[in-house]
Amino acid sequence: VNIYLLLITLGMILATFLTRAALLLVGQRSRPSPRIEAALRFAPVCALAALIAPEIVVRSGTVDLSFANPHLVAAVAAAAFFLWKRSMVGCIVVGLLVITAFRFAAGG
Amino acid sequence: MRERRTWYRDPEWRQELRRGARAALPAAPGIVAWGVVTGVAMVKSGLAVPWAILISLTVYAGSAQLASLPLIAAAQPFWIVALAGFVTNMRFFIYSASLRRWFEAYSLRRRAVLGYFTGDFTFAMFMQRVTREGEFAHRDAWFLGACGFNWLVWQVASIVGIVAATAVPTEWGLQFAGTLALLALAIPACLQWPALAGAAVAAPVAVFARGLPFGLGLLIGIIAGIAAAVLVDAFVAQRKAIQQEQPP
Repeated sequence: VNIYLLLITLGMILATFLTRAALLLVGQRSRPSPRIEAALRFAPVCALAALIAPEIVVRSGTVDLSFANPHLVAAVAAAAFFLWKRSMVGCIVVGLLVITAFRFAAGG
Repeated sequence: MRERRTWYRDPEWRQELRRGARAALPAAPGIVAWGVVTGVAMVKSGLAVPWAILISLTVYAGSAQLASLPLIAAAQPFWIVALAGFVTNMRFFIYSASLRRWFEAYSLRRRAVLGYFTGDFTFAMFMQRVTREGEFAHRDAWFLGACGFNWLVWQVASIVGIVAATAVPTEWGLQFAGTLALLALAIPACLQWPALAGAAVAAPVAVFARGLPFGLGLLIGIIAGIAAAVLVDAFVAQRKAIQQEQPP
């Protein structure tokens, strides 16, 4: 058995569990202040924005806000489709179609 | 004692479990794409197949797994790798702080399970539902259904990626499906001014801080976004109060 990888696995399990469950486990004993609770309402939308923005605008290490950036065009098209039809699957399909169209346009 | 034995037999509890799984279904293409890519990356970085499968099944933290790969390949000490995984996961402190009030009534063991299976998708979906409906009954079942479905789809995709690493074409850019699924979650959440302001600050901050190690840029982006949303929220509330004081 590879002890090194075993220790890494155990450490990573601990890291996963601590970050995800620790604040749920303290439960009622340590409620954050009402101001913090109110601020946390905005956590989901900010997390989503921070997760997706680099994936969309960063292209091979640099920020590319031009329409030559396939991910940016795909995201704009997918967002427009979502606003129209309110379908997550449709949003994914439209985005992937745009990416694929860019690939073919670039010659394969 | 009675309650502990029968909760999972309660038809209403089971119905919420199924509803949660169904709610997570549309995100499945995104989860599949990310899972496959993570599996491929683990094997291509030099991890042996059985280890990659074990880590996928037990660690269940895509971004932390990816962050750990170059460190493992460079044979860094195990505690450095674990620390990097911890820092990469720190956004989940913010998630669990948001989930806490909705699950505080449940048993310790239940909360431990709900916490461990939290993901980016299921967190955002759950928060949308409680924001709409408040403390709905059997929300633990709904969350578990969504997270369990998410876990299953992720694991199958990840193991496919691990086993078929050399056959999967990652250069097609299909992993962008995950980003698109998150985009579809983000858009309806942005329809109020404070939330939109939060997203409009979180996004560029995360982009410009992306070079920071261990995904810290992501965490800083989230915190900056929340701060901006709180400011705009206070401003909107103040303007409403003034309008009510002085009717036109």
